[in-house]
Amino acid sequence: MTLSYGGEPVLEGASLDVEPGQFVSLVGPSGSGKSSLLRAVIGLQRPLSGTTDTGLPANQVGMLFQDDALLPWKTARENVALGLRLIGVNSQAADREADIWLARLGLTGFENRYPRHVSGGQRKRIALAQVLARKPKLILMDEPFASLDAIVRSRVVKDVVALVESEGISVLLVTHDLEEAISLSDAVYLLGQGPRAHIIQRYDVPIPRPRDPVKSRLHPAFTPLHAKLWEDLSKEVDHRAEEAA
Amino acid sequence: MTLNPQYAWVRRLIALAIFLAIWEAAARAGMLNPIYVPAPGKIWLALVELFGDGRIWPHLEATFGAALGGLALGIVVGIALGILAALVPLIAELLEPIMTLLNAIPRVILAPLFVIWLGIGIASKIALAFILVTVVIFFTVYTGIKQVDRKLVERIVTLGGGRLTLARHVYLPSVAAWVLGNLKVAVGFAFTGAVVGEFVAASRGLGYLLGFAQSTYNSALMLALVLLIMVVVLIIFAVAGKLEKYLLRWT
Ligand SMILES: Nc1ncnc2c1ncn2[C@@H]1O[C@H](COP(=O)(O)OP(=O)(O)OP(=O)(O)O)[C@@H](O)[C@H]1O
Ligand SMILES: [Mg+2]
Repeated sequence: MTLSYGGEPVLEGASLDVEPGQFVSLVGPSGSGKSSLLRAVIGLQRPLSGTTDTGLPANQVGMLFQDDALLPWKTARENVALGLRLIGVNSQAADREADIWLARLGLTGFENRYPRHVSGGQRKRIALAQVLARKPKLILMDEPFASLDAIVRSRVVKDVVALVESEGISVLLVTHDLEEAISLSDAVYLLGQGPRAHIIQRYDVPIPRPRDPVKSRLHPAFTPLHAKLWEDLSKEVDHRAEEAA
Repeated sequence: MTLNPQYAWVRRLIALAIFLAIWEAAARAGMLNPIYVPAPGKIWLALVELFGDGRIWPHLEATFGAALGGLALGIVVGIALGILAALVPLIAELLEPIMTLLNAIPRVILAPLFVIWLGIGIASKIALAFILVTVVIFFTVYTGIKQVDRKLVERIVTLGGGRLTLARHVYLPSVAAWVLGNLKVAVGFAFTGAVVGEFVAASRGLGYLLGFAQSTYNSALMLALVLLIMVVVLIIFAVAGKLEKYLLRWT
């Protein structure tokens, strides 16, 4: 895919695959176009050339943004239910489903709270419930955990991994965090420095599932892969800096 | 010494009582010219008289009618124009300079003009209250819509929401929130418009009574009226505040 906001292309010939049920991460330098790529996949941005084919109807693709972007004037239940209403679920069933998913994400008792009256981690869970309740086959995540502190983050991530594994959902996760990328994913794509960024390489992660996101960091394959990714990412940034100079 | 904020109102009441007592004493001792500064007791008597013989009611009714009429019209028209301007660039282009101009001038200077156009009846007062309110509401809605959180819009779009969903679940609540946030300002403007309109030319209303008190050098009546207007506006502020608090309970 090639993508531009009017000037020089942000992405040029960037290409990646996500197999059904796979958890795939996309890492790369800041400003390289990771968010733009996700936005193109979900249809918020039209690529100059190339295609994004999820092979799925739009309502089976969910997106989790960096900030929660819940409607502040709707309660947790209403926010989750709205997502369901928009795929044609009637309002009573939507409310019921919403409560079930909120409960599954540990938010029992928070159904009637407004987003501004819950913590950041809880908001993230509400947003997650909103996406998961629609039973998507693919979820695109744009640094969804970046704003959370380490403990809350690891708990939310653990829940996400468990749900994604049990429901067989494919994930394309954008993250800055190489460790997170490796510990969660089946494959990691490294996007080069922009402009005209393209995929440098794909790394398969040979850690078995089901996974514990914390323990998988202790797997023997983890450290060498992390070192390799880190080296390649640094090389790419340095290389581009030299080119610019 | 630390002050317990819970009892601020007690301290204020005591201070007010002391102030009034000194004022009253000074007036009785003949230290104040009653033509300029009437004693608090006299102001109170004037107030009692206004209500006692019931002649205040038609005036209150006139002022309330003009203020609330102007407020309602101003909110409706302000919202409609704000939405139109936000949706149709041509309308924005035409309206913006007019509204900016109306916003820049003290709009009460239009009062005499409205009297010429609409007569000394309630219409000219409604018009003044309306023009004061509608400009504020217009800018609230217009800038508000343009600043609707892109992220919320994108989120609803990725969930499959179309224009109608966006209008109902994103734009409408945002607009309502901004209007409610400015409700007190609008109420204040509506009463300003009504009273000033009446003051300029009218046969009824609190503003008319103010003019009457002025022409007869009745400063006790004048201060009684000022007090009354303050109380009225404070009561409406309290109601608007409650409404705002309830409807914006999600903030
Ligand atoms: N709406 C836009 N208009 C113009 N340029 C944009 C727009 N959005 C992003 N860009 C540019 O496109 C490039 C890629 O942006 P993008 O947000 O996709 O990067 P990213 O890889 O997600 O970065 P980060 O890791 O910091 O989130 C950047 O150079 C950015 O300045
Ligand atoms: Mg980004």
